Amino acid sequence: MAVPDRIPVFLLSGFLGAGKSTLLNQLLDEPGFSDTAVIINEFGDVSVDHLLVREGETAISQVATGCLCCSGSTDLRATLFDLHCAASAGLCPPFSRVIVEMSGLGDPAPLVNALVGDPHNDATLRDRTVDRVFRLAGFVTLYDIVNGPIAVDRHFEALKQLAFADRIVLTKTDLANDPATQADIAALPGELAGINAGAEIVDRRQMELNTLFAPRPYVAAERGEDVAGWLTLETALAQEARHGAGKGAALPDNRHGRGIQTFSIIRAEPLSEARFRRFMATLQEAAGPRLLRVKGIVAVADDPNRPRIVHAVQHLASEPVILDSWPDDDHRTRLVFITGNVDPGPVRDLFRAVIESDPAPLQSLLAGLGRRVSKPLAPLLRRFTGLSGRPS
Amino acid sequence: MTGFANPLAPKANRLQARSAQIKGWVRDTLGLDPDTPVTVAELACQDEGCPDIETVIGILEPDKPIRTARIHRPIAETTAQVVTEALSASSD
Repeated sequence: MAVPDRIPVFLLSGFLGAGKSTLLNQLLDEPGFSDTAVIINEFGDVSVDHLLVREGETAISQVATGCLCCSGSTDLRATLFDLHCAASAGLCPPFSRVIVEMSGLGDPAPLVNALVGDPHNDATLRDRTVDRVFRLAGFVTLYDIVNGPIAVDRHFEALKQLAFADRIVLTKTDLANDPATQADIAALPGELAGINAGAEIVDRRQMELNTLFAPRPYVAAERGEDVAGWLTLETALAQEARHGAGKGAALPDNRHGRGIQTFSIIRAEPLSEARFRRFMATLQEAAGPRLLRVKGIVAVADDPNRPRIVHAVQHLASEPVILDSWPDDDHRTRLVFITGNVDPGPVRDLFRAVIESDPAPLQSLLAGLGRRVSKPLAPLLRRFTGLSGRPS
Repeated sequence: MTGFANPLAPKANRLQARSAQIKGWVRDTLGLDPDTPVTVAELACQDEGCPDIETVIGILEPDKPIRTARIHRPIAETTAQVVTEALSASSD
């Protein structure tokens, strides 16, 4: 099948913490990807993802503070158009491939429609240019073998991300050291086939980046009945929204609902690394699966010129990565939290209490994280913080 | 339907299983042919005072415009009765 000579665009998805930034870092180190532009999208009110990916000579365009899928197709098309114009004007390096890192909560349907859908009658010159210059050439979804099964069972976006993929990469397989877990990994392709029977499934340890991001035709119809239905429904809802067809017709500004919360903690003064670790451990124990994602950059008091990059997903926290220098002029600690029904107030209070040793009644802080966790966790909190957990 | 369950078939995940149930309820309620595509998705609800997430159903009958119905609860909490009510409301 002949592939038209347009710039291939790859969508890179994966639920929160599946390892998208890690894979991008590996990819940007490969000489074969020096001609790749990367669009980073993140769900959060403070952008940190672009700090977590080393830029090098690559054109990186960051779509901050919001979700491409929530803003509809227009933001992705606008970003592609801007990249095309910037490269044409010599304002960024020329590129012959684009990788769009979707937000971990990203719904693929509007983004795939943005790249393969028929332009509507009132399409602008920008839309027509994007159609002429770019094409969707592959959809890669990362599936974290540790947290993926829970995510797919609870979050519809995670299910859709797998269903749309033409390549699925199993990540965190290096954490499987025992025979039982290795047997579970061997069974995963069979289980994932129930969601997507047509995708090629590869283990992160054996994947070839060049193959993963080799241009190919992406035919949505081949992804199965569910994908075809979601794309058709998306188009119908967008048309209803354009024509204002009645109550509830508009597409939501935020597809993820009020149950998914994002908030940030920013702090100018460097932190005690030990206390920061205590804060993270306490928060992870207390919030459990409702702590969907924590990511950010941390200024450490004992080593202020070498910031720490931190990642955590539910109970799993990666060992912080030490950078040799700050990636930008902002040397503050910036943490982004994405949670399922955990309010920002108690998390900020807990942060203050642990970092500043504020002798506040810690049980009441934990109570804000959920009634069921406050009582059993009081002793744990005392152990981690050395502070009193007794109510005053 | 033969009633045969393949023991080697991949396990359906919880959301997938409920989506399949919802599609079945829609087909039963509307008397649709089993091959008529029905699609089920979750989106954040826009309406004031409604629950956080809504289930959106699309019925894709050949040669007809897509018909949509909205249920003000997530897929996992959707029942046959609310599907019937939503389809009835969407046809008003």
